[in-house]
Amino acid sequence: MAARTADIRGILTKNLSVTALFMALILGGIIMAVCGYNPFEAYGAILQGAFAGKKAICQTLVQATPLIFAGLAYTVAKRANLINLGIEGQLYIGALGTSVIALMPLNLPMGIWLPLALAAGMIFGGLYAGLVGFMKVRFGSNEVIATMMLNTIAENFVEYAVNYPLKEEGKSIAQTAKFSEALWLPRMVDKTQLTVAILIAVAACILVKLLMDRTRIGYEIRCVGQNLQASETAGIRIGRVMIISMLISGAIAGLLGGTHVLGVDRRLIAGFSSGYGFDGIAVAALAADSPIAVILSGIIFGALRAGSMVLNRTTGIPTEFIDVIQALIILLVAAPLLVKEILRIKNKKSEKKGGRKG
Amino acid sequence: MSSQITSILVSTLSMSVPLILAALGGVLSVRSGIMALGLESMMTMGAFCGVLGSYYSGSAAVGVLCGMLGGGVFGICHGILSVRYKVNQVISGIGLNLLAVAATTLLMQLLWNNKGSSPQVASITQDVLGSPITYLMLAAVFAEQFVLFRTKFGLRLRMVGENPKAAATVGLPVHRIKYIAVTLCGVLAGLGGAYLSIDHLDMYVRDMSAGRGYIAVAIMILARYNPIMVLFCALIFGFSDALQISLQGYGVPPQIMAMLPYIVTLLVLAFGVRRITPPAGVGLHDDE
Repeated sequence: MAARTADIRGILTKNLSVTALFMALILGGIIMAVCGYNPFEAYGAILQGAFAGKKAICQTLVQATPLIFAGLAYTVAKRANLINLGIEGQLYIGALGTSVIALMPLNLPMGIWLPLALAAGMIFGGLYAGLVGFMKVRFGSNEVIATMMLNTIAENFVEYAVNYPLKEEGKSIAQTAKFSEALWLPRMVDKTQLTVAILIAVAACILVKLLMDRTRIGYEIRCVGQNLQASETAGIRIGRVMIISMLISGAIAGLLGGTHVLGVDRRLIAGFSSGYGFDGIAVAALAADSPIAVILSGIIFGALRAGSMVLNRTTGIPTEFIDVIQALIILLVAAPLLVKEILRIKNKKSEKKGGRKG
Repeated sequence: MSSQITSILVSTLSMSVPLILAALGGVLSVRSGIMALGLESMMTMGAFCGVLGSYYSGSAAVGVLCGMLGGGVFGICHGILSVRYKVNQVISGIGLNLLAVAATTLLMQLLWNNKGSSPQVASITQDVLGSPITYLMLAAVFAEQFVLFRTKFGLRLRMVGENPKAAATVGLPVHRIKYIAVTLCGVLAGLGGAYLSIDHLDMYVRDMSAGRGYIAVAIMILARYNPIMVLFCALIFGFSDALQISLQGYGVPPQIMAMLPYIVTLLVLAFGVRRITPPAGVGLHDDE
């Protein structure tokens, strides 16, 4: 028996991120119970809403798509040891870029127009993030503040755009006209919101993985992230590498915005993002900054999101519990030492006689 | 015209008070070597706990104390995560910010069955010039300046922030000083949050801090981690915010005007104050 608990403990200590995820879920359950709700009922409803049936699984993937993009965008910058808190702003500017192309009366065939619109979003988002990298390299500006300021500016600018220059004519609602059908991202399953955006997201993760492992710039980004001084000594142009990693990060955020406006709303609406930029940090943290793990991590958070919608409909349990759990996941995943300590406490209790001090 | 100028000045002050309090807290935290990205959570908790205290006691003064307590508790959490568990301080700050918004919204739902706002509670004055918090804030600016640069404790705190190893070598209780600094940071930011909910208004509104914690971080950096400079930087920000509100309705779209304070901050950041170096020990853990 003791051997088996030791085995389990060994597995848990090896996969601290996964352990942290489960701890956050258990902790969330305890909080629910303290507040007078049945955690088993809640998690049952969430599982059902996330995985029971084709519709539920589609919904999970729909929710996962922006989270995968956001997690990937954060990961790319993090690899160069930059904290991109500006994903929120970059995705708005990206959505704006895509919308500008989409609203032009180009009447191109879908195969050209749609990629063109998405590319515009990537360029807009990339340049917006590149500006932060440029400011950091050129003026030594703190990227955390710059991105926070740029987020608010971007949100306001998109709100301005849909209220004035891009507003649908003759309507009182602040939004653009619906895009031409040639620009709608094709749906993968009928009667769901699942579009090819999920495939683009997965492809982006694989491309970033290849970029990091197989190319020179990927190698340089990793070097800069690991040791600034050594990279400089080795002749890597640090400023250039930092700006490029921000450009890539912003381009992915722009793709998030672009796929959202083309795939979900099919027009530009102000305030469409429900804080995806910050959710991306949670996704990246759980994925331990690995581009491939971001896919799985995005799906886990997507499932929580999809499940919480059902939770709201079928039980009286407030969905805010899910937000609390998500924050707990970020904190616990980022605190492996705390997770280890909690594991030790459990282990001591199960051994009872174990006099060793941790 | 003169009444308009007065109203801009009053609203400048009223925008600045919570920012100054939070940024003062941030200065203490950063000077001790802990990044202050969790300010947003401490303000949110301050605002919420302030209303909670006032709601159950019927007294705004008790509310203010509860707000400071709530901010302080999140300050300690940030400290424990950063110092004891060596969490990346950006992540722990952001995580706490998300936790604070989620937890307060959940509590509003559970206590008052309303996700949007709390019931009205006893508040202080709703007048920035007559509010004791305004004067408390002014006192805090000068007190902090004095403590940081003129007392033994201030010297030790700055030493811990610059070089924790050296501080430990000469026998300073590095961890204890960091905990004190980050707790005081939470108390100050909590007071700023309480100002929002039970002085400026008389209720808690969902996500009340609305990014003020991040602006406070920006102000603190622009002020080069100096309390008196914080006062001026926050007033400049508050002024451009007050100005943009009073200039609305002159033909410029409001969304463009709303960007003004942020663009000003960004430009100052790029061209005004180059290469601001934080204390050398910021973000480092014991073994680094």
